Amino acid sequence: MAPAVITRVQGESKPLWHAEDVTMSDILAALSEVRSKFARAEAGDDEHIHPRNCVMTLIGVAPSELDERLARRTALTIGTEHPAQAIVIREEAPVRGRHLDASITSEIRRPETACAWQCEIITIHVRGRAAEHLAELVDPLLVSGVPTYLWWLGTPPFGKKELLDALRVCDGLVVDSARFEEPYSSFRRMSGLLKIAHHRLGLADVQWARLRPWRETIAQFFTPMDRRGFLSGISEIGVDYVGEGRGNRIAAALITGWIAAALGWKIKRAAAGTGGAVVARYEAGHRSVEVDFRPVQKEHLASGEISAIRIAGASQGTTFRLSVQHDPARRRAAPEPAYRSLHPTGGEDDAGMELAERRAEWHRDVLHENLASLHHTATGDPPGESRPKRPRVLTTERRQPDSARVLLTMIEIGDSEPLRHVQQMDPEDEAALLLDLLSTGTHDEVYNRALAAASELVDKF
Amino acid sequence: MKVEEAPNPLAEGLHDYRVADPAVMIIFGATGDLSGRKLLPALYNLAKQRSLPAGFAVVGAAIDDLTEQAFRKHASDKIHAFSRTQPIDDRVLDSFLSSLSYVKVDFGKLDDFKALGQKLQELDSTNHIPGNRIFYCATPPPTYQTIALQLQAAGLNSGGGFHRIVVEKPFGFDLLSARELTQTLQKVFAEDSVFRIDHYLGKETVQNILAFRFANSIFEPVWNTNLIDSVQITVAEDIGIEGRGAYYDKAGAMRDIIQNHGLQLVTLTAMEPPLAFEANAVRDEKVKVLRAIRPLIGEDIEQSTVRGQYAKGWVLGVQVPAYREEKNVAPDSQTETYAGLRLFIDNWRWAGVPFYIRAGKRLPKRVTEIRIQFKRPPHLTFGREAMKEVDPNAITLRIQPEEGISLKFGAKVPSAGLRIRSVTMDFQYMTSFLVEAPEAYERLLLDCMIGDPTLFTRADEVEAAWALIDPIENAWRSQRPPLEMYAAGTWGPEAATKLLQADGREWHRP
Repeated sequence: MAPAVITRVQGESKPLWHAEDVTMSDILAALSEVRSKFARAEAGDDEHIHPRNCVMTLIGVAPSELDERLARRTALTIGTEHPAQAIVIREEAPVRGRHLDASITSEIRRPETACAWQCEIITIHVRGRAAEHLAELVDPLLVSGVPTYLWWLGTPPFGKKELLDALRVCDGLVVDSARFEEPYSSFRRMSGLLKIAHHRLGLADVQWARLRPWRETIAQFFTPMDRRGFLSGISEIGVDYVGEGRGNRIAAALITGWIAAALGWKIKRAAAGTGGAVVARYEAGHRSVEVDFRPVQKEHLASGEISAIRIAGASQGTTFRLSVQHDPARRRAAPEPAYRSLHPTGGEDDAGMELAERRAEWHRDVLHENLASLHHTATGDPPGESRPKRPRVLTTERRQPDSARVLLTMIEIGDSEPLRHVQQMDPEDEAALLLDLLSTGTHDEVYNRALAAASELVDKF
Repeated sequence: MKVEEAPNPLAEGLHDYRVADPAVMIIFGATGDLSGRKLLPALYNLAKQRSLPAGFAVVGAAIDDLTEQAFRKHASDKIHAFSRTQPIDDRVLDSFLSSLSYVKVDFGKLDDFKALGQKLQELDSTNHIPGNRIFYCATPPPTYQTIALQLQAAGLNSGGGFHRIVVEKPFGFDLLSARELTQTLQKVFAEDSVFRIDHYLGKETVQNILAFRFANSIFEPVWNTNLIDSVQITVAEDIGIEGRGAYYDKAGAMRDIIQNHGLQLVTLTAMEPPLAFEANAVRDEKVKVLRAIRPLIGEDIEQSTVRGQYAKGWVLGVQVPAYREEKNVAPDSQTETYAGLRLFIDNWRWAGVPFYIRAGKRLPKRVTEIRIQFKRPPHLTFGREAMKEVDPNAITLRIQPEEGISLKFGAKVPSAGLRIRSVTMDFQYMTSFLVEAPEAYERLLLDCMIGDPTLFTRADEVEAAWALIDPIENAWRSQRPPLEMYAAGTWGPEAATKLLQADGREWHRP
């Protein structure tokens, strides 16, 4: 695949404008002034200002401060390579007055031989009734003639008027089903959007973009003409996923739904097996295909991530087995400094520092390991049904960029020696994943079909 | 449709996803410059993008006495130095290097090719490869025929799987040698298995010329003699011959650039819409353009061509020597480092529209662009005074650097009076899409592995191009027109300016 164009940005500059208790008219006036200043400065002695360059409007809806920062950082990263306007809406922020708090930040990019452009990030803190009228709020800010994408961080209010209204002004909705607070029920509600997703409104899931390396690796195995017949000989699939419960089985369901939809399989039933495993049975023409979902514990993977996929079968007397697994040697993220601060070194000597470091690591591990059980004790939800609210430390640790992610593929055909193959997974990067989805305009028929098939499967869990 | 012929349903929707069948790529000249600068880094990047299938293997073949380990070390060094993507991902690199083998091959020794054959059989067995082979000649052009014939003698051009050969431009030195090369290659490989690489065609922006013309309805109706005044194609380099004196002094700008890159850009600009973006449909239309170009003969050559050679001068703030002072260049060399010509395409669409082409070394900057100059409006509604600052409309297709398209048109200057000035509407290729464009070699290598020859040059294209160039080369060897010097860092000889002035036009300054 062609990778997304990404340049790392060091940090955000100070807002060009910031005001509290303002109206949309104030924001529009400030934005107009910011643009005008930039255009005049860039025109220099030229009488004619350069036309504004913009490829999209990206609206990020952030339910928390952490999400707001993520949205702004991602928008900035994208904007430094692609002239864009970003609007970050923070709901339920502690706004003091009746109206809105807003700020405008911009980053200017000057290519060597082309006109400069500025990436604008408009952040609006909104609460109360205004938050329920997102479309009306952002409509005056939208750039005409370029697509508008709504990126909803956290769990969108699926099925509610608030979301449906917001979608009226957008060309696509982007969510991340790996971050839903109630993954199982939210995923089911999300699939309801397929009814309104049509040629104009796209629906995209960051989790789907994360599955791309898995999809590519599996597709590659069946690409050579002499292996194409294996597709109709698949008899069993095994998917290992991290964590327990149906809420952690969403990525596994999506990848299975993708295969089932592509090969025209029909779900017949799913039943619980031993050790938390679930077995689904598909009808593939006159054959039956068994898909085993097995929960595993992998310290280096986040809950819900796929750990391994195995596909086996036989065709025209030749057996085959494809095994793809997430690199077990993935590096663990460094301990969060905040923990260290809770464990003073007791001196500056090496031994004292090492002891404090170990204590901090132990503290974090205990918290991490017990987090799920503490959460389920507190909520009464079965495992995987809902996820703890994401405290800052654990969230950043879960999705650390990691350069050492690879997929190990093992191919066995007939009696031949197994063939080992290593492929890189792109580092976890919100901007790159988002760009991957936006570069298709969020219209992906294959995803829609996979989602529909996964939804049918999830219903059977 | 049989199951085996159906597309892979699991590959649907993986946009930009293209993957080849497992194969062995044999790089002849694996320790050379092209392999180190372009091929090995391109293959590494394909591996990084997960575009190489499990089992894909590379065999380096060259005269050097290297161990497998030494070749891998060489490859690793080159990838670190020349890869488009940095920093290098060690795990991808290690995995890629493990797929490399090396076999010492003296192109004159049949036994060496037989030893190569044994290595390929081993790889077929260990890597589940059904005999697929790609022979890449990253070697000087005179070796192409020898390599092809040795492959045939060793029986490496037949058997199960596909067998393809890749050769680099120049394809021959003139029409006669191009025909000889074609005949030899076609004795050993079917024409659809011969991949002639002109890396220009792998550039995204070159392919975008076709998208611009044929995916939009607003440009094609004006893309003809009714509204177009002239077309200018510029292939300018700021560098000199970069140590290639021995080759360049025999070739010159006409053979090195105009015969291939220059004429390819002419064909893409002037061709009729193909029935589909399919290899033969596209190449059929390109050949039609080449055959419709009015041949330059006799006095036409003196009047319509310009040849120049750079003298010493200043480029990008650095003083540079004259061409004749370069290494491996004859002190009295008559080789042109600048070629300019005016061509006409004798067909309905282009009748009377001159195509001006120029290519040169040590020009002020590196730029490749196609400029479509439109005619002036038939009537000056706003009067001569108001329009004095307005240039005719023009579309510029920038191939490199800063790939993009710009449209120049007149707009009213915001003021009390009526004054019109030219303004530019710009499209920048790299910022308008949310993905990165692959390097030309990555695209072409993958095309070759997949077996898509659309962006490769067909034998009849090569011959049609030489048929145009040969008479010019012959006249130039007789000093018609005379070689004219230009200072390095300028836009070529004075004669180039006069060529357009004679038609009441001037070169656009890129």
